Amino acid sequence: MSFTKETAAEAARSDLASRLGLGNGEVKVVSVDETEFTDMSLGAAASGEMAAQMMTSGWKIKLNAQERNYEYRADKYQLRLHNFKGKNYVIAS
Amino acid sequence: MNRNNIWIHITLAVVMITLAAVIGQIDRWRAALSHRPVHPATTARRAPVLSVRDQELADAEVIVRFKPGVSLSEMRTIAATKNDRVVDEDESVPGLAFIDDLDNADPAGDAADYAAMSDVVLYAEPNQIIQLDDPAAGARSFDVDQNEYDANLPNDPQFGDQWSLNNQGQNGGKEHADIDALKAWTKTRGSADVVVAVLDSGVDYKHIDLRANMWTRPDSVPQYQDDELGSFDDFHGFDIGDRIGDPMDDNGHGTHCAGIIGAEADNSEGIAGINWKVKIMPLKFLGRGGYGTTKAAIEAINYAIDRKKNGVNIRVMNASWGSTSGSKALEDAIRAAGDAGILFVAAAGNNSTDNDKRPHYPSNYDLPNVVSVAALDRNDAITSFSNFGAKTVHIAAPGKDIPSTWLNDQYREASGTSMAAPHVSGVAALIVAEYPNISVAKLREKLLRSVDKLDSLSGKVSSGGRLNAAKAVSQ
Repeated sequence: MSFTKETAAEAARSDLASRLGLGNGEVKVVSVDETEFTDMSLGAAASGEMAAQMMTSGWKIKLNAQERNYEYRADKYQLRLHNFKGKNYVIAS
Repeated sequence: MNRNNIWIHITLAVVMITLAAVIGQIDRWRAALSHRPVHPATTARRAPVLSVRDQELADAEVIVRFKPGVSLSEMRTIAATKNDRVVDEDESVPGLAFIDDLDNADPAGDAADYAAMSDVVLYAEPNQIIQLDDPAAGARSFDVDQNEYDANLPNDPQFGDQWSLNNQGQNGGKEHADIDALKAWTKTRGSADVVVAVLDSGVDYKHIDLRANMWTRPDSVPQYQDDELGSFDDFHGFDIGDRIGDPMDDNGHGTHCAGIIGAEADNSEGIAGINWKVKIMPLKFLGRGGYGTTKAAIEAINYAIDRKKNGVNIRVMNASWGSTSGSKALEDAIRAAGDAGILFVAAAGNNSTDNDKRPHYPSNYDLPNVVSVAALDRNDAITSFSNFGAKTVHIAAPGKDIPSTWLNDQYREASGTSMAAPHVSGVAALIVAEYPNISVAKLREKLLRSVDKLDSLSGKVSSGGRLNAAKAVSQ
């Protein structure tokens, strides 16, 4: 799966809506910022995962639902949910 | 002839002899002061008569090494702006030109003028005149070494961008903030007998700048047989994730690391690897996204150990990956690799944190075959992203804006301790090429004891220094 800035943001919105049992319209995209992550797990390694230690360009996607903020991270190869209830998740790759 | 006439003749003879001696001494003083070769007729050993070309080279006051890509016509144009003339371009050393200063200015000053043109010039120096019969000439090791040094400059067109191997201050860098590769290459340029396993996202083994240095399984080594995974035709290496014998890279990261260790050098293509000759064994366990599981990493290490036991001379493993999650099983696999005679070089991590307090694995495993590597920039400063650790990070190496090979015959600059680790792996392979029977313990010791100590690394890495290839292969 390959992502663009737009498709990554839309996939993040759908995932969060599904995760919270909400409609897509109830999840708001706050911002999508280009950033450089510290490694190829986008600084959001899942449990037991090893990542290449190369600085990697991608997008930090901030969402809001039910007055709470959530952060997804993406590059052209993957989408991750960062620090959701204390854990990181690979959503798509 | 009366007695008075005899004394007159004797006196005249003494005066003439004395006069001749004085004139001769004046000539010798003049010759010495002029820094010119002593005329052949005055030397005991007759020097060869200079040809027109030799005479032109003798007239050249300055030797300038232009950067790759500067054409002869551009050299001439640059020289003309200083009222100088390019006498000759050395065919064996690309970019090396002999320049005649038509103003006959001070050669040292003229050389300094050229050296200041750092965007187009690698170095410049006055043309030293060495007399054939001067016994001191052979002791002028700088001149001799410089020629040898020049012969080790590869003709790869992007070599001028490889500050980590030869930092001339390009792009705002600091001169000599590099691993001193040119000097190391006067000792060894690597060996095709040394195998470096790259545990990564695979390697583009068809890359034009890598394919000559890729490992392939020799007929004498049987196909890989794993009790759990079955048998694989591991001709090019192994893809653990997809469980096939094709470790082609689909990310680029492994290809980048491989290029630093051993891109083919002096082939008029791309870049030069630290090893001009080596064998890169790709072990793919990171997926297209650049991440993978601990289990896959263990399987990759086990594969390498198995190949070693089957006669493949794997001496170094490069691990440009990690996480903050430890694994006893991974630690045990790395220990087993050490028992099999394999050095394990690991990236220290990119979280800007202290590994003494917040461990990063596998670099933090306290094993005798593990070397943990931090990243430096082109000014010998530890990078903003690099992890450090006075006890748990051992050495630093260049890791920012590093050009290397990428997928599909491309090249790319990348940054990370991922790029620092293969510098250490590459130098480790150079050491093994020079000392084929060296033990893992001695190999690790050589790497860490030969560093250039830097203030910026005091309290940051246990050796307190930056990797130095020249010292590592010499000490």
